[in-house]
Amino acid sequence: MKTYGSEPGAPTPQQVQVGISEFVVTDADTTLKSYGLGSCLAVALYDDQAEVGGLAHVMLPSGDEAGSEPTNPGKFADTAIRALLRRMVEEGATYTDVEAKISGGSDMFEFESFGEGVGIRNVEAAKAELEKLGVPLVAEDVGGKKGRTVEFNATTGVLTITVADGEVDDGEGAGVTEL
Amino acid sequence: MRLDTTALGTFHEMAREGAGIAAGRLTGIAEVEARVGITKLNFVRGNEIRKELAAGGEKVAVRVELSGAIEGHSMVVFDADSARRVLETLLGEEFDDTAPAVADGEDAAVDATGTDAGADAAAPAEFDELSQSAMEEVGQIINSGFVDGWADVLETAIDMTTPQFVQGTDPEPFLDGIDTTPGEEDMAIMFRSQIEAVGEAIGFTHYLFPDHDDFADLLDRLRETEGIEYDKLVGFDRMAQRGAEEVADNISTMTGFDTEIELRRLNFVPMAAIPQELGNRQLIAVAFEFEGTPSGYLVFCFEEESAATVVEGMLPSAPDDAFGEMGQSAIKELSNIMASGFLDGWANVLDTNIDHTPPEYSHDLGAAVMDPIVLQFGDSQEFAFVFDTHVQAAERGFDVEIYAIPDEDDLERALSQLDVDRIDDEPIEADFPIDEA
Repeated sequence: MKTYGSEPGAPTPQQVQVGISEFVVTDADTTLKSYGLGSCLAVALYDDQAEVGGLAHVMLPSGDEAGSEPTNPGKFADTAIRALLRRMVEEGATYTDVEAKISGGSDMFEFESFGEGVGIRNVEAAKAELEKLGVPLVAEDVGGKKGRTVEFNATTGVLTITVADGEVDDGEGAGVTEL
Repeated sequence: MRLDTTALGTFHEMAREGAGIAAGRLTGIAEVEARVGITKLNFVRGNEIRKELAAGGEKVAVRVELSGAIEGHSMVVFDADSARRVLETLLGEEFDDTAPAVADGEDAAVDATGTDAGADAAAPAEFDELSQSAMEEVGQIINSGFVDGWADVLETAIDMTTPQFVQGTDPEPFLDGIDTTPGEEDMAIMFRSQIEAVGEAIGFTHYLFPDHDDFADLLDRLRETEGIEYDKLVGFDRMAQRGAEEVADNISTMTGFDTEIELRRLNFVPMAAIPQELGNRQLIAVAFEFEGTPSGYLVFCFEEESAATVVEGMLPSAPDDAFGEMGQSAIKELSNIMASGFLDGWANVLDTNIDHTPPEYSHDLGAAVMDPIVLQFGDSQEFAFVFDTHVQAAERGFDVEIYAIPDEDDLERALSQLDVDRIDDEPIEADFPIDEA
């Protein structure tokens, strides 16, 4: 993926924001952050031996179903996971050591046109792709009707999830969870 | 002259690419990490550009004249606060913050929190020679970043003159000598970009005033579909205006608040930028789906305090929990009436019917509220026209942000059918200031 505004030799920032449809891989001591996930899903992959990790902020379930090779693999759960894994291996990760954590995939509204919920479909698509690739899913915090902000320490593999302190209809409440 | 979303998408790509190059070069010279914030295309009337340049106190601009593939002028405009932050970043201790240019320099730290203290500055102060030449350098970097970005996207060459530094509190010095500025009632497409550095937003607006014939050729070359007649863009403006007026009236009727339209703007943005714009703020959001010509989604966003104010204004006595059942129902009721008013305003301009669903309430992070809606457009639509409206009752500390995201094909169809002569008979009343985003 193209990173706008980055110059070779520039210092590595401590925290990198991963926006919608983006993915970032790093082997540095950097926190990758995606804020305000609603139905979008954060997929975190890491190899804690090689200390290489990556975070994808995916928007839709399947790029394969969308037809021709998508120009933006970070947009879809399946293509983002493959791209993330490929990039991590290039950066020194060992395929068989990579583990996954996911968070997000809420269904915030109940419009009829939303059908069974795109949040759930994102979660299912990510799980199916991880299984197909043989990457173990070691932790998840998904679904419900709440927004989440995630911070991922790519070298330790710790995924920190913050839930807003607003009124949450399903009584899930606010707070910080570490996966 | 006709345009379509493919051509606009290319314009957006030009703006984003240009902003990226500019940010990269700023990183190089200022030794700070600069990154590109949200980039938008705006559709505005010539008189609104003038109002915008007149609003918000002193401004500083750097402009260049273009020739080659695009003829016209490119101008980067900073408000005085942003210029001050740029200079502080660039010049460090050399930046003389006791000079008249920053007579209210002590307030600069406060300004950085986003208050508009610059507007209160007394008479326009002169920038000293060092500051001027530093601003020229920054302006040149940004202008040339944009121009190089466009040239890359268009695979062509664009030349530019040496930069000209301009400062003032009214539009005249900025537009002086530019014969390609749009007339009072003509619609213009404007690029609006933001570059963030060292955790502070250095906002600027970028104006391109292209030669009309050149621009028409460019649009024709980029266009892939029949698209719509350029003149019909005036319909956008009228939709935004009528929608906002209806909402302001509804709020006054329901709450007794004295409301004003603080901003109404039509943006053309990538889908992914819509949640990003609302960001990590905790909001009360009420969403609707609407169907007809056009169909789409409409979301009212209130800050928590504003929502609590509405609840107090609507209920006979304030409930213990402003966002409990009673409060939620009051907010939904007001939003429902606003939604009807807003969409009736559109339907009147477009001469169509638009229905909407009952309200869906959410109290959560802004980005999290918007992303499910963006997702509904799926992979079919990369960009959206977003009608961005703020209505406020300043005395009551109330404001609401309204985001309307119509389906792009529907909107194009609705505009194509629009009789521009008919809407020109409608009363024109666009007399309110447009503030910077």
